[in-house]
Amino acid sequence: MSRFSIERPLPHGGRLIERVVRDPERAKKMIKGCPTFDIKPTLHYETGVPVRNVYREIMSICYGFFSPVEGSMSQAEVERILKERRLLNEWIFPFPLVFDISKEDLKKLGVSSGDRLVLNLKEKPFAVLDIEEIWEISDTEELAHRTFGTPEDNPEVVKERFDKKHPGWVIYKSLNPMVLAGKYTIINEPIFRSPFDRFWYPPRKAREEFDKRGWRTVINHQTRNVPHVGHEFLMKNAAYTGDTEPCNGILVNAIIGVKRRGDYPDQAIVEGHEAVETGGYIKSDRHLTSICLWDMRYGNPLESLIHGIIRQNMGCTHHMFGRDHAAVGDYYDKWSTQILWTKGIPSFGFNAPPTDVPYGLQIRPQNMREFSYCPTCKEMAYSETCGHKREKLSGSFLRGMVAEGVQPPVIIMRPEVYKVIVKWWKHFNYPFCNEKYVINKEKELEVDLKDL
Amino acid sequence: MADYFLVVLLDDSRMAKLEGSGLEKDIKYMFGGELRLIEVHVSDEIKNKLLNTFDTARTDSRNAITDVPVAFMRELFNQVVEKKSLGDEVVEAVLAKADEIKELAKKESEFLPVPELA
Repeated sequence: MSRFSIERPLPHGGRLIERVVRDPERAKKMIKGCPTFDIKPTLHYETGVPVRNVYREIMSICYGFFSPVEGSMSQAEVERILKERRLLNEWIFPFPLVFDISKEDLKKLGVSSGDRLVLNLKEKPFAVLDIEEIWEISDTEELAHRTFGTPEDNPEVVKERFDKKHPGWVIYKSLNPMVLAGKYTIINEPIFRSPFDRFWYPPRKAREEFDKRGWRTVINHQTRNVPHVGHEFLMKNAAYTGDTEPCNGILVNAIIGVKRRGDYPDQAIVEGHEAVETGGYIKSDRHLTSICLWDMRYGNPLESLIHGIIRQNMGCTHHMFGRDHAAVGDYYDKWSTQILWTKGIPSFGFNAPPTDVPYGLQIRPQNMREFSYCPTCKEMAYSETCGHKREKLSGSFLRGMVAEGVQPPVIIMRPEVYKVIVKWWKHFNYPFCNEKYVINKEKELEVDLKDL
Repeated sequence: MADYFLVVLLDDSRMAKLEGSGLEKDIKYMFGGELRLIEVHVSDEIKNKLLNTFDTARTDSRNAITDVPVAFMRELFNQVVEKKSLGDEVVEAVLAKADEIKELAKKESEFLPVPELA
């Protein structure tokens, strides 16, 4: 092996967290006599529309996507994250993750520290929460502002004060005031609904799959979109990074969670990426589509940290970051993710990139610009390489085309991908997420549970 | 006075409907000829009428009128084919159906007709 060869990184925190009990008899013993609570979605503080479901956090914690996090956070841990973006054990982590309930529900439950609470999902036992602390969020709006930053406190990258137009800010603003902190354990493994089942590669399985495929270096592509050809070229070209050879594999990891109106349906996103592979545009032995459950916070540089953590835990060596990474609106500088990964953002606790600080990340950033069509070169060209005037490919231009029922040309969107959009358009009577989709999705979720 | 326009995208099925209309010479190409479109240019007066009729409509930096309902764009193409023209009368004919289009636009958040795959 060359001294330039890159090895697969250890999970963030040094070991993979796995808190899943697979023996039903053991699970039954664990929950015997314990109080139960039905998991409820977090509802928008004004509109009442679902904006988050904590079950997704429980899944991502217990299967190790968020290693080394093991549960709902204590008050001290949340405070540390807000001040330094670090857990109490020093490892970096960007967002507070809490199991929040109303004061009325807490009173009804009558639980206290040391109790075990059984969490039901879809009326079936799903997980337990071993309560270590109960604390109160004094002001959810203040928590929301501190979570994302403010122009005053984080002038390097925060351009506008966050407000109710930002879906991540709304999640924190909408939290219930009481937090039950403690470790989660899944005691009844959910079964993914189709088509999500075939894309479920939790970190241990992902690492095993990489071994099976002989992938030593793997670059991740973050997505919440149906791929157009610009995305495809981004993936193909970013994969040329690596070490002594291009990355062995490209992992597409779609964030599956609560949707916003106008997004493509999750089903179309994952099958659209799969179509890039089945259509042969990227060979299947070099490409893998996968999912992670998470209600996006759209925290741009902070979101890029959790993305780095998820993908390092899955075994990736590299991560692509583009302009406006996981962003919505103009709250952050459009290059703030790349600023974080190249020089750090001191006001968020990073005097150096998150890969260059103690207890930081090992995954390597690949900061990319854009691909667009060059009529002179007659190919998709990289913005920093091609010197001609190019024709930009924008998501909104494409969405307008799709909404009109006009099939995008093959140079913009592969026909196999468009077929997937139409397939789910037929299913939902609509090509994008509308209010009906958003509400139904949060009722049905991505999983079902068996009786324990 | 600025020149405003609407972009009508053309896929294979729309190209077939345009055949023999005499408008073939007005077809423009993008993405190496892969994307075909025609531009329907409108007067300032028609542009203002359009923006006043559909509250989502706006003009962009190229002076293209965008964000009109999908039903508007479908009807615009139908009128281009029917009138074999790209003049003001095409958009005027579409605006004559504004009430019908607004009704369809309300339903657009619930339903959009699924296209036939080529």
